[in-house]
Amino acid sequence: MRLSFIMATAATAALITGSATADVKFGALYPFSGQLALLGEESARGVEIAVEEVNANGGVQGEDVTLVRGDAVDNNQAIGEARRLIAREGVKAIMGTYSSSRSIAASQVAELSGVPYFELGAVADEVTGRELQYLYRTNPTAEDMGRMSVQMIVDEIAPALDKDPSEVRVGIIHEDSSYGTSVAGHQERFGEEAGLQIATVQGYPASTVDMSSLVLDLQGRDVDVVMQTSYQNDSVLFLQQANESGFKPAAIIGGGGGYSMLPTAEAVGTDVIEGVLDVDFTQYTVDPAYAPGMEDFVETYREKYGEEPRSGHSLNNYVGAMAIFAAIDGAESFEPDAIVEAVEQIDIPEGETAAGYGIQFGENNQNERAKMMGMQWQDGKLVTVYPAEAATSEMKIGQ
Amino acid sequence: MTDTTLKSAVTPARIGRHRLGLIALGLVLAALFVTPVVIGDEFVYHIFITICIFAALSTAWNIVGGYAGQLSLGHAIFYGIGAYAGVILVNMGISPWIGMFAGAAVAVVAAVVVSYPCFRLHGPFFALATIAFLEVFRVLALHFRELTGGATGLMIPLKIGWEWMVFRERLPALIIAFGMLLVCLGVAWAIRSRRLGFHLIATRERESAARAAGVGTVKVRLFAVAVSAALSAMVGTFHAMYLTFIEPSSMFSLQLSIQIAMFALIGGIGTVWGPLLGAVLLVPITEFARGALGAEAIGLHGFVYGVVLMLVVLFMPNGIMGVLARFASGRKEAAGDEPDTHIAAVARTDVAPQIGDPVLRVEGLQKHFGGLHVTNDVSFTLREGEILGLIGPNGAGKTTVFNMLSGFLKPDQGSVTLLGPDGEWHEPGNPGDFAALGLGRTFQIVQPFAAMTVEENIMVGAFHRYHAVSDAREAARETAHRMGLGRYLQDEANSLTVGGLKRLEVARVMAMKPRVLLLDEVMAGINRTDVKRAVDLMLSIRETGVSIIAIEHVMQAVMALSDRVVVLSSGEIIAQGDPQEVVRDPHVIEAYLGKEFADA
Amino acid sequence: MQTFLQIIANGLMLGGLFAIIAVGLTLIFGIVKVVNFAHGEFLMVGMYLTYLLTTGIGVHPYATAAAVVPILFVFGAVTQRLLIQPLMHARDEHIQIFATVGLSTALMNLALLIFGADIANTPNHGLRSQIHLGPVRILEGQLWIFLAAILLVTGLQLFLARTNTGRAIRATAQNRAAARLMGINDRFIYVLTFGIGAACVGFGSALIAPLYPTSPTIGTYFVLIAFVIVVLGGLGSIPGAFFGALIIGLVDALSGFYIGSDLREAVVFGIFLVILILKPSGLFGTRVSQSHVSP
Repeated sequence: MRLSFIMATAATAALITGSATADVKFGALYPFSGQLALLGEESARGVEIAVEEVNANGGVQGEDVTLVRGDAVDNNQAIGEARRLIAREGVKAIMGTYSSSRSIAASQVAELSGVPYFELGAVADEVTGRELQYLYRTNPTAEDMGRMSVQMIVDEIAPALDKDPSEVRVGIIHEDSSYGTSVAGHQERFGEEAGLQIATVQGYPASTVDMSSLVLDLQGRDVDVVMQTSYQNDSVLFLQQANESGFKPAAIIGGGGGYSMLPTAEAVGTDVIEGVLDVDFTQYTVDPAYAPGMEDFVETYREKYGEEPRSGHSLNNYVGAMAIFAAIDGAESFEPDAIVEAVEQIDIPEGETAAGYGIQFGENNQNERAKMMGMQWQDGKLVTVYPAEAATSEMKIGQ
Repeated sequence: MTDTTLKSAVTPARIGRHRLGLIALGLVLAALFVTPVVIGDEFVYHIFITICIFAALSTAWNIVGGYAGQLSLGHAIFYGIGAYAGVILVNMGISPWIGMFAGAAVAVVAAVVVSYPCFRLHGPFFALATIAFLEVFRVLALHFRELTGGATGLMIPLKIGWEWMVFRERLPALIIAFGMLLVCLGVAWAIRSRRLGFHLIATRERESAARAAGVGTVKVRLFAVAVSAALSAMVGTFHAMYLTFIEPSSMFSLQLSIQIAMFALIGGIGTVWGPLLGAVLLVPITEFARGALGAEAIGLHGFVYGVVLMLVVLFMPNGIMGVLARFASGRKEAAGDEPDTHIAAVARTDVAPQIGDPVLRVEGLQKHFGGLHVTNDVSFTLREGEILGLIGPNGAGKTTVFNMLSGFLKPDQGSVTLLGPDGEWHEPGNPGDFAALGLGRTFQIVQPFAAMTVEENIMVGAFHRYHAVSDAREAARETAHRMGLGRYLQDEANSLTVGGLKRLEVARVMAMKPRVLLLDEVMAGINRTDVKRAVDLMLSIRETGVSIIAIEHVMQAVMALSDRVVVLSSGEIIAQGDPQEVVRDPHVIEAYLGKEFADA
Repeated sequence: MQTFLQIIANGLMLGGLFAIIAVGLTLIFGIVKVVNFAHGEFLMVGMYLTYLLTTGIGVHPYATAAAVVPILFVFGAVTQRLLIQPLMHARDEHIQIFATVGLSTALMNLALLIFGADIANTPNHGLRSQIHLGPVRILEGQLWIFLAAILLVTGLQLFLARTNTGRAIRATAQNRAAARLMGINDRFIYVLTFGIGAACVGFGSALIAPLYPTSPTIGTYFVLIAFVIVVLGGLGSIPGAFFGALIIGLVDALSGFYIGSDLREAVVFGIFLVILILKPSGLFGTRVSQSHVSP
């Protein structure tokens, strides 16, 4: 069993902020250790690339940006690190956080201290649903994910099956942490609104080692479409066990995490994952014309880290950070209210960011233009298939 | 288990060390509060608040895990209950100051329900059971979304002020956290230094001996669990307000449960101050490990942490308090040279003993162990002021009879009735009831409370009569002197010789001032002089009006002592009566020496 | 009906998998009397070894057992000798638990350090292909695990019952002091037993790795289930562990289908608690619980 540490880091930041010419500091609060470290780190890389790019272009309000890292390994630590960034480092704003629960905990601290908090990656609804004044979120949410997966069924899958949406039977399964539960909740709600037949909604622990009973249950319910929101281990397990039980629904729509990653495809085999759909943050297979700057980002990433981006998290964090920095550059000062005022003015239309979606903050300070992308595994590769303007390939259903 | 107990001092050197220790602890506590206030940095505040929270949780855990020796790895259940109760009530507009007590009440109920069936389990089994309960609680918290918000958790509205325990500045939060730590330490200290603490540790060390000394072992442990759960829940409520956001996976967390126990372990399990020291030391160390190593590579600091944990366990198995105690005892001066008061301080008179009316009636006892008939229709009566010898060859079932006479075993048939101080006859059902009616017993295999001093061992018996520590201590000392244990009062029970342990066993029972005394081979394995002393001792005890049943193999002693003997063979009484006559009974000789001798 | 039979088959196969992990644990828990929280990490280490050997030199995963079993034997023996043995006489029995927690933490993070958080896939060499047994279908690899579990259980049972070493192990488990008087080197027996327990997991991991992706945290799920099984089957009882594993496998599969996959953990742990409280010696245990009077 892994004993995650409870306490806050003191020195991490000191190591990173070594350069003494720090002009203006921003915090990067992500889980850099513990279970979520892999994608926490991946997300932070997006912000790091954004900072480099901003500094290369003259900084923000003429000052160089220094990024101070904070390690949000658990909720208590997220609070401690937020405090440290604010009180000790004097950051002008915090960016984060990948994990929704860490984001919720840390942003309360920032709110009470009156420091702007920009969420670039956490998807839970609760992040923005709290009437916080200084919290803004650029990335699409669990709600967008649920909406997108249902739209794909209504717009593409049902017609391909020659069925009315009301005839499509849907099974929703999800890992039972906050992430899976909230996405599944939205899938159920949007599904009901669209008139789909929701056959079952079932949670399971992500660490499970056997999903055969769940597969049999879905099989028994005769579902056409399975929507699964999952991490990597359970994505692999479900796809393998479904295949081995001869369960072949007309479509499987995965949600994020495991479904977007190449090791998943390698684990289950490209023939098994062929045709499986995936709703997630914008990945690198999106149409470059729809996401200008994406290819440059990938190139910078390769140069800086010597490897391919491991997931779309870095790209989405990069896009959010770039927009925020651009807005702050135009603000009158680094005072919280000036920053907030500038950020409120952001108005980037769709198709003009490296992730495709536009940015404008609406109700609850959520980016109203944020969008998930629909993807599909075709010939061993993940390609973008939905919406049409971002697509590089056709969606293939029932083949 | 080390118990660096805070006993009242006997020598000036001890007083000095004791005072020095208290001053040091006072300084640690003061530093906990003053440091962040002086530095005034929010992050430092956070660290110290965290230290206070974990030290408080660990101190609360220690009441169960340390004093009672029940290794709970599910303590996050109570912490989580407190947190959820607090947040749910805040969302209904009720202040966490009230929610705190509501949470504590629910936690107490949960603690009693969870623990009661588990007390039969010892060591690792109890730990596994608590883990299983924790998992069940976590899954249920995920499942019942209407109440708990499910996996997405619950938040509190950011209402600022003392009433809501949410503050913009950090000082008030530190005050609350520090106050909670003080409360936990105070409760832990109060329990440890009072009768309850003695009972808990006696129960932990030797459950059956504790029961024989009249300790309601289940009751005291339930009480300990309830107190511990209530404190944990209250800390949980505050921590939830501090976090402003709770979810099942971080509240009902096994890792948290283990961490809490670990602080106590590293500080010194079962000691009042150990958990505090553990948290004070470990929190900054983990800080440093994470800070220095966390950025290097994923997993490096976790690896180092695990290795350090193993090393600590290997080289500091008794925790920081153990190291401190060793350091202190290294400088220990020679204990006061009090003359060894010889036993039998009460001069023997040659007046013939006054044998009175029956005080204990044994009627038709039957007991089977599986197919073995170990006790068959055993009946006899013990009179007031009488010494009854219970003899018989090995395996005759003497100890089994004792166990039935003291409530440790239930006879299949038959009854044991005891004349109470009220003049009525009672049929007690368990060791506690027997003890309450004035029956005390010793064990064939001595059962000292290893972690206690000789004085504390005897005090456990004395607590049967006294509630206050000072009274019990006085009674214990008096008994100890009478039993010739006076000079060993402050020694650990383990350091005594076999003879000393046997005397300690008797002293503990004597401190209960029993009216009926069951002695199980108190003379076995001790030397001749000691046997003679023991005989004198028993006679002097009898002269105070106590009735005695003694199992004994030392024939010389039996003959000298007993007014009457009962001979048991293969679970049956084969003879009883005057000692001199009984030993000439051919049945008895046969039973002891075989048929040939009887015929000879 | 078909579904029901399939659930039963799935449950039995899962039970076989649990059995092969739990057998080693019941030896360690039952004989050395140590709660080994690092048992899951032994599995993880074994699976990574299998992964490295199969991908590195391209052998069949089952063939790696020849190397993994002895490596884990040594690993287990060294753990007992260096970590547990020095604590055997500690005044507090709890302390060993924390020692194994430390070992578990260190191993898991070491794996994270070396392999990263990503899953590692052992080539399955066709072990995921299906076999139809009447109306049900199972994986070839699952069947092998099940058969291997039976083999392991039988073999261990014969070893314990028929060989001198086995008898010495059982004697030590029943009464350490008496065994020592009979001239048995109890410390050696403990080292040996811990080694065998770890070697059993090593054997299991060579079989399990081709079916399940390996990750640093793979052990965490298994270790709690394995404890449930060991207690259910009766401490130290090899056949008990086997049948306990089958029962838990079936319970897991049935409750996953009929009660709901989110509550099945609660069902498994609930059963565990009921057994623990009502019959602490386990379903197949013969050990009488402590007498009231002996210290």
